[in-house]
Formats: sequence, C-alpha cells, structure tokens
Amino acid sequence: MTATESRPESDPEAGSSPAIDPDLEFDVPLDASAVECPHCGRPFVDERQRDLHVGLEHGDAADDAERTAFGDAIEIEREDLRLFRLKALAVLVLLYFGLLFTYSIVT
Amino acid sequence: MASPRTARRVGATLVATVLFLASAGTAAAHSASLRSASESLSVPQWLFLLTGGAVIGASFLLVTFATDRSFVASIHEWRRPLAGRWLDTGRSVGSTLGVVALVGVIVAGVAGPETAVRNPAVMVVWVGWWAGFAMSAYLVANAWPAIDPLRAITSRLPTAGLEYPDRLGAWPSVVGLLALVFVEVVSPLADDPRLLATTIGIYAAITLVGAVAVGPPRWFADVDPVARVFRYYGRVAPIGWGGSGFELRLPGMALTRWTDVDGPGEVAFVVALVWVTTFDGLVTTAAWGDVAGWIVDAGVPSLAVYAVAMVAGYGVFLGVYRSAARLARRTAPTYLSAPMLARAFAPPLLAIAAGYHLAHFLGYFLTLLPALGAAIQHPIAGPAAPVALVLPAWFGALELAFVLAGHVLAIWVAHAVAFDLFPDRLQAIRSQYPFIAVMIAYTTLSLWIVAEPTLAPPYL
Repeated sequence: MTATESRPESDPEAGSSPAIDPDLEFDVPLDASAVECPHCGRPFVDERQRDLHVGLEHGDAADDAERTAFGDAIEIEREDLRLFRLKALAVLVLLYFGLLFTYSIVT
Repeated sequence: MASPRTARRVGATLVATVLFLASAGTAAAHSASLRSASESLSVPQWLFLLTGGAVIGASFLLVTFATDRSFVASIHEWRRPLAGRWLDTGRSVGSTLGVVALVGVIVAGVAGPETAVRNPAVMVVWVGWWAGFAMSAYLVANAWPAIDPLRAITSRLPTAGLEYPDRLGAWPSVVGLLALVFVEVVSPLADDPRLLATTIGIYAAITLVGAVAVGPPRWFADVDPVARVFRYYGRVAPIGWGGSGFELRLPGMALTRWTDVDGPGEVAFVVALVWVTTFDGLVTTAAWGDVAGWIVDAGVPSLAVYAVAMVAGYGVFLGVYRSAARLARRTAPTYLSAPMLARAFAPPLLAIAAGYHLAHFLGYFLTLLPALGAAIQHPIAGPAAPVALVLPAWFGALELAFVLAGHVLAIWVAHAVAFDLFPDRLQAIRSQYPFIAVMIAYTTLSLWIVAEPTLAPPYL
C-alpha cells in the first residue's frame, strides 16, 4: 500500500533534491502558509500531506524522522478512511432505502 | 454532428419510406428508444431523474471503497504492447479508402437520390461514419488519422510554412466544433444530400487552405475539430498509441494520463464535446419551444436565438466546470492550481461523451445498417425500398446502461487521477466532491432531455 507511484521522481543514488514534477502547477494564496517538501519543494496545505508525500515519492531518500512521520501520517490516514467508509456506507444505505421507500409509495 | 436529433430525423424519414414494415411504431422505437426506456418505467419523471442522479452518487461512493493505491494503479497501468508492422499497409489502404469515400460522398450527394435514406452520401456520412466509425474510435481504436482523406491529400501538397500562433492553442477547434454542430442543428444536414455535399465541400476547402498554410501536422493537431474529436474518443479505446508503439489497455484507462490535456483550450474542447450533445437534445424539448417562441415573437431572428443559446449554454457549461475545479481546491484541500485541476479531470468527461454517443447511435446504426448497404450498392439510382432492422424492446435498457457505464468509467478514471495527484487518499476523494455534484446535475439534465417528448426544433 506504500510507494507505488508511476512517475519515478526520486533518485536515491544522487541524494540530491529531485525536481518537482514539471506537469504540476501550483497556486498558493499570498496570505496562506505552505508546508514545503524538503526534497522537491512541492507546497502542501499541512504537515500531514507533506509527510505522506515524502513517504510516497521520496521514500528512498527519506531520513529516519521522515519515515516515522510517514508511518504516523499513514496511521491517521487509515483512521480517516475507516471513518469515511462508515459514512459512505451509511449514505448508501440511506439512498437505497430512501429510494425503495419512495418507489413503494409512488408506484 | 453529435446528433441524436439527426438520428431521429433520418429515422423518421426512414419510417416514412419503408412501406413494407408492418408496424411503423416499432421501427420508430429506435430513434427515441432512450425515451421509451424511461416511459416504459411506470414512474413519474421526477423519480426517474432522482434515481439517475442517485445512481451516479452511489457509484461514486462505491468507487471510494477502492483505496489501495497499488490496486488502483494496477488497473490503469496494465498495458500490453502490440506489434505494428501491419500499420503501414493499413495506413495506405485506409487513406485510399478515405479519398474514394470522400469523392463518392460528394458525387452521390450531388447526383444521387434526393431521399435521405436512399442516398449513399447521407447514409455513409451519418450512419457509416458519424455513428459507426465514431463508435469504433472509442470501442476499438482511433483509425481516423489513417483514413482521413483530407489529411492524405494535404500531406502530398506543398506547405506555405506560415507560423501557427501558439497562443491560439486548441481554441480554433473549439470554435470549429461549435460551428459544425450549429450548422447541423439549424439546417437539414441529414435530410438534404445536396446540402450535405456542399457542406463537406466547404469543410474540405477550408481544411485544404488551412493545412497548406500552416502544414498538415499542425493543422490536424490543433485546428481540425473532427481530428480532435476522434483523437479524444480514441483515448477511451482499449487500443492506442502508447508513446513508443501501439498498446492494449483496459477501456478508458488511457484517460488517466492526466498530462494528455495540456491547455485551457483542450479543456474547453472536452467540455464542448459534452455540451453539443446536450444542446442537440435541448432544442427538441417543448420547454425550448416555449422559450424560443417567446423570444422570436419579440422580434429576434430565430437563427440569432439559436446561436446565442448555443454560445451562452456553452459558456455556462464551461463556467460550471471551471468553478468545480476551483471548488476542488478547497474541498481537497490543495495548492494545486485550479486550471491544472481542470486539465487533469477533463479526460474522464470523454468517457461520458462516449457513453452518450454509444447510447444515441448504436441503435440508429444497427437499424440503418441494411439501408446503408443498399444505398452503397445503388449509389446513383438509389435502392428501391430500404430495409430497416427492428430492434427488440430491451434495447432501450441497454442504452441507459451505456450512459451509466460512461459515467462509472469517468468516476473511476477521476478517482485514479486523484490518487496520482494527491498524497492523502481522503484528500483525493474529497477533491472529487464538486466534480461529482456537477456530474449528478448533468446526468439529471440529460435524462430530463431524453425523457421529454422529442419535437422538431421550432422556427427553422
């Protein structure tokens, strides 16, 4: 479930900062504070997005602190996803029975 | 071009012509079979529309359950290279065929029978090419570059070597597509073989001049709307160009290459492709008749009403899509720019466009296939009485399934692209909220058009 990105961006041997994906285009509001990736400079809204990005895109070049941060971020991400799935399931059930109910009244 | 209405019109002509069909009612079924599918359900229209929207929403929720990055990537990264030695032969055969067909269509359009359904020009262009060939572009592979007669002709001509202004980008093709569909909507292009031949002649003349001016590669890459339509449809297909050779991939999965749409003009073209289908259906509704009647009665020329409606409606579509991209920055949240998000999430719309095209045209194509064959066999005199296939009643349900399949494919592609773009998977899911909302609204609008009785566009 970890680093399986299609675009090879990190170059572990060079150890230098690989360039940010040139196809990406950013627009950081002037009054906003961006968290930048120390490896490629890509701006993020918060640390957690940055930590996930470092683990996914620069997994080979990451230091121990970054790996730990990635592990923590993945844990929180999983927790968030679990909660989201529950909500999604609830909405699906509501949709299904809502429609079933509506159909039984209308037809 | 994107013409379910043309389908219905030719269909109606056919029904009038084919005397030996026992029941004209059954034959008419093909043309508005999407509609009959909705009518055969004994539910009120609002519930039909609500269900359509709910299906899109539910599909999105189901897709969000696929959160394993390697699984999502394994679907769209699956590729098999194909050997391409037969391609050169295919190209020369294809371009010869294309040139013969172009000359044949113009000759038959001018000299052939005046009844649309007996005229090979009308049958070849609408049934063979715009229905059948276009389907092959997104169901199999885009062969248009190999067949396009105008490309074959202009590649043998000298070029003037004029510079194509880069800032124009794909915008000329957007204007071209809108203009083509406008002509198709306001004129009897599918009923009048002479008019069809003239229009194709004008189109060919413009293409020859333009391609000679800036060179065929640039012309067909940027300006020619037809080439762009087929190129975009080809990205939905399971076979296509993979950079170094032809490749086999899962249907629609080439759309996950989010760098393929690389300019605001290309986004505008994708939106235009979706809009023209909608506009074509919109003008056949009773609601349009009321509104247009009210404005025409106030003294506005009817052509102007159609032109303004087409451009204004397109503006609304483009504006709504761009707003969704801007909103996605906040729902995700992300610092990726709104124009970039608009580009990255435009390719999925092509799956939707292909789904609607298939729904509108497969039945039309199958119904008129015998008439196409008969018309080609008697190009000038015309066949005596064209035969039409009568499609079974369940075909309408199949067409609704195509529309749905296009949407589900689009939702999956957008999901995969979002996973590529965003580090946080919930962020990727959230980025889709505005796009899904727009998609639900679009589906509801389309289903409403389909469920409304089809009238001839008034005041033309």
